[in-house]
Amino acid sequence: MTTTEAPAEFIEATLDLPVRYIDRSRNYYLTLGYDNPYRWAHNEDVPFALMAKPVSEARIALVSTAAPYNPEKGNQGPWAPYNADAKFTRVYSMPIDPAPDVRISHVGYDRKNTSAEDINSYFPLARMKEAAAEGRIGHLNERFYAVPTLRSQRLTTERDAPEIIELCRQDRIDAAVLVAT
Amino acid sequence: MSLTARTLEAAGIPTVVLGCAKDIVESAGVPRFLFSDFPLGNSCGKPSDVEMQRSILAMALNLLDTATAPRTTVQTAFRWTEDAAWKRDFYKLDMTPEQIARAREEMDGQKAILASKLASG
Repeated sequence: MTTTEAPAEFIEATLDLPVRYIDRSRNYYLTLGYDNPYRWAHNEDVPFALMAKPVSEARIALVSTAAPYNPEKGNQGPWAPYNADAKFTRVYSMPIDPAPDVRISHVGYDRKNTSAEDINSYFPLARMKEAAAEGRIGHLNERFYAVPTLRSQRLTTERDAPEIIELCRQDRIDAAVLVAT
Repeated sequence: MSLTARTLEAAGIPTVVLGCAKDIVESAGVPRFLFSDFPLGNSCGKPSDVEMQRSILAMALNLLDTATAPRTTVQTAFRWTEDAAWKRDFYKLDMTPEQIARAREEMDGQKAILASKLASG
């Protein structure tokens, strides 16, 4: 299979379709010469839990993949290049007050179009605090949780997500808002 | 993040995922997904557009309240830009052999950093 012939134009740009990231990342890494492209998760069955109470009466937790800013870990500012050194490797939780400074330089987002200059575009804590103040959220949990992005589905499902469940149980969380980056 | 949502949900904790990678999230399969057709990294709205950010969060909370079955995807009505040109940019393949070699070298370096982080726990 040859993967070196680039299409003249991605069809998603032509037809304004959602970008097919699985295809694109696969072709990109094959082009770079990696012969074992990442296998994205694919599931037939999807679990579902009904809300036991409305959001306006519920304890809600924010779950993020963002990392605490660490000045010793290189460029994590707006337009920073991909920075694996800024990755964290274990689940963590932090208080929501004072508002934490978390960044996303360690994940693979669109470096040409995404500045990451405004935390609120990837970490909706300020907006969630407003919603709690207005009564739209019954109670915003006093700490948020973060899950590492380590390209290991086994670590996520067998180690990290169960740790998030444990935190949710400690805090008696009714529902969670998860932000993918 | 999709896998975390699935695991929480299976444990009885309802979730909503905010994201921009429709194919990745829907392939993993999540209970509730609020999709914004934006460049990756802006799942909660455009930088500095507080009204848009409020609206996107409100849609996510509504999805928690109203979804009755798994794989419920709602797409926000916002556009990133007037045209769709930004969709040409990510993982572009029109690279010279030199650019490919440089990208490979850079990626090998980043992979090594992650591997050493994982090795040191």
